[in-house]
Amino acid sequence: MIDERAQPTLALERRIGRLLIALTYVSVGLLLGGVVLMATAGTSPLSGGPALNLAKLPETIAGLDPAAFLWLGILTVIATPVSQVALAAVAYARNGDRTMVGIALAILAIMAIGVVTAVAGTV
Amino acid sequence: MIIGLAMLCGGAAAGVFGSLLGLGGGVLIVPLLTFGFGLPLRDAIGVSLVCVIMTSSAAAGVYLERHVANLRLGITLELFTALGALIGGSIAFLLDERVISLLFAGLLVYVAVSMARARPAARSTASHARSTSNPAIGDDPVTVSPTMLDRLSGDDYRVRNLGRGVIGAAGAGVASAFFGIGGGVVKVPLMHLAMGVPLRVATATSNLMIGITAAAGALIYIVHGGVDPYVAGPTAIGVFLGATGGSRLSHRVNVSVLRALFVVVLIYTAVRMLQRALT
Repeated sequence: MIDERAQPTLALERRIGRLLIALTYVSVGLLLGGVVLMATAGTSPLSGGPALNLAKLPETIAGLDPAAFLWLGILTVIATPVSQVALAAVAYARNGDRTMVGIALAILAIMAIGVVTAVAGTV
Repeated sequence: MIIGLAMLCGGAAAGVFGSLLGLGGGVLIVPLLTFGFGLPLRDAIGVSLVCVIMTSSAAAGVYLERHVANLRLGITLELFTALGALIGGSIAFLLDERVISLLFAGLLVYVAVSMARARPAARSTASHARSTSNPAIGDDPVTVSPTMLDRLSGDDYRVRNLGRGVIGAAGAGVASAFFGIGGGVVKVPLMHLAMGVPLRVATATSNLMIGITAAAGALIYIVHGGVDPYVAGPTAIGVFLGATGGSRLSHRVNVSVLRALFVVVLIYTAVRMLQRALT
């Protein structure tokens, strides 16, 4: 028999599990598209790919640039665990679990600080 | 084309092993890309972090749906792991690579020896913890407010030594940022041996945490231009295929076999790290 108090946790785990699986499949699809385009164009994996350019990403995606699909896939890969924490924060907030909300938000804040610090270091 | 296929197959092998052992596979991907494909170490670490997230997400999704992973414990420890990754990422470029390799080889040997000597005592440990009266919660835990440890515990085990867990989790974060790994080599034995979490739950929870840890590091590597999309694509797809297969095999794998495999991969990685330190 499942404790009533455990029901929200089980439901949350199911939701996060499905989110992780769905986003993983999306990212695999994007990466696969990029790899197929790479193979079609005869590009070697060791030829050195371009750096990420967020501003030009939509334009290069429309132009079926392999690197654009690969970058979008990589960004989706990274967004997957971030979404996991964000969804957990929302669910814990709905359940009134302030401690876990604080922990989840703190994780997201640490990741944001990492990006800001790195960007500041490269400028 | 052949190089791409080789990367895909190598990634698949790392994915199977990583998923079964609660590792992100980074301990295999970094040597694979540096020794197998001649990539610079920084590029290999950046790609490895992306692959590690893929391994973790694929396996963690399955583990969560089956309610094997402990989400609350994973997120709590992850706070300190992410902090460790942030600190580790900041100082990783300041230390000599050989010093880091040497330290890491020592850590791996220590963990391997600890795991090899450990008895399959998770269940007995859990029952011992439950049968022992805890002054913090009294004899009737239902009538008092649950402590943090209670809230982090599972149905058939009780988490202990949260302080050690926090310190170890921060160390795992530093190791992740240094070496392009998810930190499962630290998290699994930490939760299993120090915190009394059954190995299967520790492995699943580690998978859950690995993605978050690696994402924190990967973002920093992308900003610094340390991720090559052409290498990351085929390798990550391979890792996904391997991790998917591995997570579906996990419930059929004997725990003692799992532990033996874990020890083998730790020793192997330690030797590679030692070689790097001495050359």
